[in-house]
Amino acid sequence: MRRPKKYESGEATQYISRRAALRRLQLSLNDFRRLCILKGVYPREPKHRRRAQKGSSEIKILYHAKDIRFLLHESIVWTLRDYKIFAKKSGRDRAIKDFRNLKRRLALFPEIKLDHIVKERYPTFIDALKDLDDCLTLLFLFSTFPSLHLIPREQSALCRRLTIEFLHYVIASKSLRKVFISIKGYYFQAEIKGQKVTWIVPHYYPFKPQSRQDVDFKVMSIFVEFYTIMLGFVNFRLFHGLNLAYPPQFPSSVLQDNSETLQDESSFVSDRIAALNFELLRTDKLMEDEEELDIDMELLEQDGDSKRIIKMKQEAQEVARLRTLFKGLKFFINREVPREPLIILIRSFGGKVSWDASVFAGATFDESDETITHQIVDRPSLSTQYISRDYIQPQWVFDCINQRQLLPTNKYFMGEQLPPHLSPFVDSKRETYIPPEEKALHDPSLIETHVQSDDDDDDSDAEADNQEEEEIEQQLLDAQLQRAYQQETAEYKKYGGTDGVNEDEEDSVDDDDEEDEEEEEEEDVEQLDDKTKRLLEEKQKMKVESGKVHKVNKRQIRKAEVDEHRLQARMVKPRHRNLFRKLIREKQTKEKEEWLLRKKRRNIDADAKEAKKTAKREAKKAAAEAAAKALKMA
Amino acid sequence: MATVEPQTKRKRISKKNKSAWRKTDIQDVEQFLEDQRQEERIGTFKDKLDDDLFVLDTSTQKVKASLLTPKQKRKLNAKKAMRTHQVFENTSKVQDPIAKRNKVRQKQNGRNIELEVCNPTKPRHRQANADRARYNEKLEERLAVKQDSDKKHKIDKDIWQEEDFRDKIPGLKDEKGWISRPLALHVAFNLQGHKVVKTHGSLHHKTTKAKKFVPPHPGMSYNPSHKAHQELIDQVVDREEGIIKKEQHLKRVTTSMFSIVTPEERDRLRLKEMSEGIDEPETTEKEKNKANGDDDDDNDAGQKQKTVDSDGEYHTVNAPVENKKKSKKARRNELKQKELQRQHDVKKKLKQQTADLIRIKSIRAEINEEAEELNELKKRRKKTAERKKFEPKRLGRHKYEEPDADVNMPEDLAGNLRNVKTESNLLKDRFKLMQRNNMLAPSVAVSRKKSKVKRFLRGSHKEPGVSFQDLRDRRKAAANAAKANNNTIKI
Repeated sequence: MRRPKKYESGEATQYISRRAALRRLQLSLNDFRRLCILKGVYPREPKHRRRAQKGSSEIKILYHAKDIRFLLHESIVWTLRDYKIFAKKSGRDRAIKDFRNLKRRLALFPEIKLDHIVKERYPTFIDALKDLDDCLTLLFLFSTFPSLHLIPREQSALCRRLTIEFLHYVIASKSLRKVFISIKGYYFQAEIKGQKVTWIVPHYYPFKPQSRQDVDFKVMSIFVEFYTIMLGFVNFRLFHGLNLAYPPQFPSSVLQDNSETLQDESSFVSDRIAALNFELLRTDKLMEDEEELDIDMELLEQDGDSKRIIKMKQEAQEVARLRTLFKGLKFFINREVPREPLIILIRSFGGKVSWDASVFAGATFDESDETITHQIVDRPSLSTQYISRDYIQPQWVFDCINQRQLLPTNKYFMGEQLPPHLSPFVDSKRETYIPPEEKALHDPSLIETHVQSDDDDDDSDAEADNQEEEEIEQQLLDAQLQRAYQQETAEYKKYGGTDGVNEDEEDSVDDDDEEDEEEEEEEDVEQLDDKTKRLLEEKQKMKVESGKVHKVNKRQIRKAEVDEHRLQARMVKPRHRNLFRKLIREKQTKEKEEWLLRKKRRNIDADAKEAKKTAKREAKKAAAEAAAKALKMA
Repeated sequence: MATVEPQTKRKRISKKNKSAWRKTDIQDVEQFLEDQRQEERIGTFKDKLDDDLFVLDTSTQKVKASLLTPKQKRKLNAKKAMRTHQVFENTSKVQDPIAKRNKVRQKQNGRNIELEVCNPTKPRHRQANADRARYNEKLEERLAVKQDSDKKHKIDKDIWQEEDFRDKIPGLKDEKGWISRPLALHVAFNLQGHKVVKTHGSLHHKTTKAKKFVPPHPGMSYNPSHKAHQELIDQVVDREEGIIKKEQHLKRVTTSMFSIVTPEERDRLRLKEMSEGIDEPETTEKEKNKANGDDDDDNDAGQKQKTVDSDGEYHTVNAPVENKKKSKKARRNELKQKELQRQHDVKKKLKQQTADLIRIKSIRAEINEEAEELNELKKRRKKTAERKKFEPKRLGRHKYEEPDADVNMPEDLAGNLRNVKTESNLLKDRFKLMQRNNMLAPSVAVSRKKSKVKRFLRGSHKEPGVSFQDLRDRRKAAANAAKANNNTIKI
């Protein structure tokens, strides 16, 4: 038997250095980089570097040998080689000034085809959706670029087109869930086919020059090249899933024949599409909405009522409410407000929106429209204001969506100091101590009570008590008055009912008529005696009883919880026991921490209140003394 | 002085007999004697006058040698007729009476394709024309197809639709299962070039356990709550402090470890350090003289390094090697000692073992301790391995560096959307994210070094010239003058 040599098997053969890969594939380094990015082949870190590098311990870039073998089969390798040949030949033509040949060659430039690679890298549609985060962020970023070195203008234009198409889908499917304005840009999170897709859109400002030191533009451009193809296919599938025509088109009703449309139809259409303000052409006639959701709910109801199911149900309800959050509202966006993010938000939750026609094409109504309910403004004051609408700052829209309800607008009025914009990516229902201030920010109902309690604090307690007493007295008075009134009316009815005419003969004709009617009714009553009697009895029986407070037996609940917990503990498999214990311990420590913090807060609050009270008392005393002195002086 | 002959190895010759004496080479001696005699006859250079030795050069100056490079020379030579062809040149001054006689037809370089295309004379010309037409037709077709597909980034199919390649080719799909899938694949490939390459699983393996989407810190909001913003700033400050601490440590350990000296001092020290061990010739001589004067023995013993003594004898640095033989007795003794040592060791070991019997309990404890330590180590290793799964891998020469967190300083917080101060570069952020997700090997941008260009003002620049600017100025001045004139006239 042959004695095995060193590095002929094992890790040394599993990995291949970049240089060796280049030699194997017969490509230049640039071409190899491109191929790897397009095919999704990335360098690897071996377990034992020295073994993988056949004894050398410097850090080389290594690839899986299998990956490289896989690349050998790729058809675009031939295209990349064709590029090389093309460059050589066209260079020669240019050098000898054979322009006829050069033109022919340029027309036959070998195009790279990436369709099959998309399918290969993402075998299912869900896989593609999972990887959409990077893709969308990069494309949104590139869509803001002018033509730069290594980034052609066509690429950024294509990025713009694809991202607009994607936004159309998001609007049509109402799949947006969370939004966040950060100093980086706008974060958007949508739920597409159950996958959370998050992307960042840069702030709409003039182009900022990018330094070439930090980022390899060539590499990014290649990534974008692949992602454009991928997003194209994803868009196609998404649009067809919603029965929308792809590429997006308008229904013929929008396209009226006027001088503008006839002049240049294609640019007119593309402008309107970029405006994101019109419904797109559907391939089917029906408009079906929220049917799927109902089905989901029914399915859920069949299952048992575990905590998860309840949570899911709640979530589904919330989402259903969110989808029609802005329904019936009409927004107008002022010039200084970034248009695109707000349009996406408002339109995807059912609102109507327009803007100044001079800012961008596609405005549907004017500022002077009286039916506008909200005008979004980002300046301290405005000269002409309409009474019929609220002037709000853009943050209102974002906060409404994050909290999934329409917030009171008074905190967001024009020129108002805004409440902080919280991140929706931090779970507000997390199981830790949340200070009351933050809680108030999440729950607007708490804000109001908080404000009121503050007012109470300002008054002294005695005054508050007085007020309460006064209120109670007022209520009592009201009640007595009401009772008296009821008695009066009852008596009046009695007399009217029994004697009829003898009460007042000087009554107006109307009264006479009424009496006649009553008489007629009486006759009827006599005729249908039994029925009315029963009805009357029922009426008398009908009353609102004061409800009893359902008494919660805390002990029993606690006991049930403990039992359940014990059962759970028993169900845990022995190999997971340690993990279970760890989880429980963590939970306990968390609870303890929370309790401690809450206690601390309570103490602090109590102390603060006490201090305030004493301060006020002293102030009062001082005032009284001063008054006494003044009297004495007088 | 005698001329110095090239040294040759002297041959040893036996000079036993008188006749052998003749073999002795006495040429050099004879040469010397001959020279001497000649000097006596003519006299030496010193005796002669300058006029006898030197002559004034009155001839016309020679043409300087051409400064052509060999390449240029070669080019010039190439223009000349070949030496072999020079014979054929007609050097006669007599004119040819019949000028038309020797008209040589220049042979055409290559074919005249145009002629062949326009009026084909040979069958191959016709064939070529037909071929060309066919090629052009095909080209047109290809161009048309390309322009169609080129028009837009065209996407007109759903690639994720489940479809069987066997549907496309009639006869490939049969319900009975006669045609196996591999066979179908084979046929499809041969018929339509439909190739199926299997992607291996490791291509889709995740290389990191870290989450793809990192939620932004709530303090990064354009209008953050005070608490969140402070938290973020604290994070940034912590990181920055760490970096400063590291830098200071490095500085303390490297730069400030060495004392600071003036440049002159540094140079002097360097000179001293580099010339360590090399004795300057003058000083050594002086020392030698001194040593000779004082005491010779001491000097010889102390200065081992000296290679050449005053006598000129050669001494090595190390002492000469001596071949000292051990005596048989010494060898025997050595062996005996070795054996004794071995026996002693064995005895000692035995003793130790008996002693260990008593110590069994403590030994067990030791072993247990060791096992525990090992266990601890194992645990720690496992933990680090687990942690490493979330960290970016080391893919290339450079290590991945966490980018700085984006934060607005408190004074930059505007509180409204109009005045947001954007802090981050989204492109850089994405680039770093790709590095974090092991998609790119971290790299450092290498900028090509620009050659240094020495710039200076050309002499001619200072000379007055006419530029566009000048011309425009002049024109304006003239126009103004004209206007002024007009005005004055009008008034």
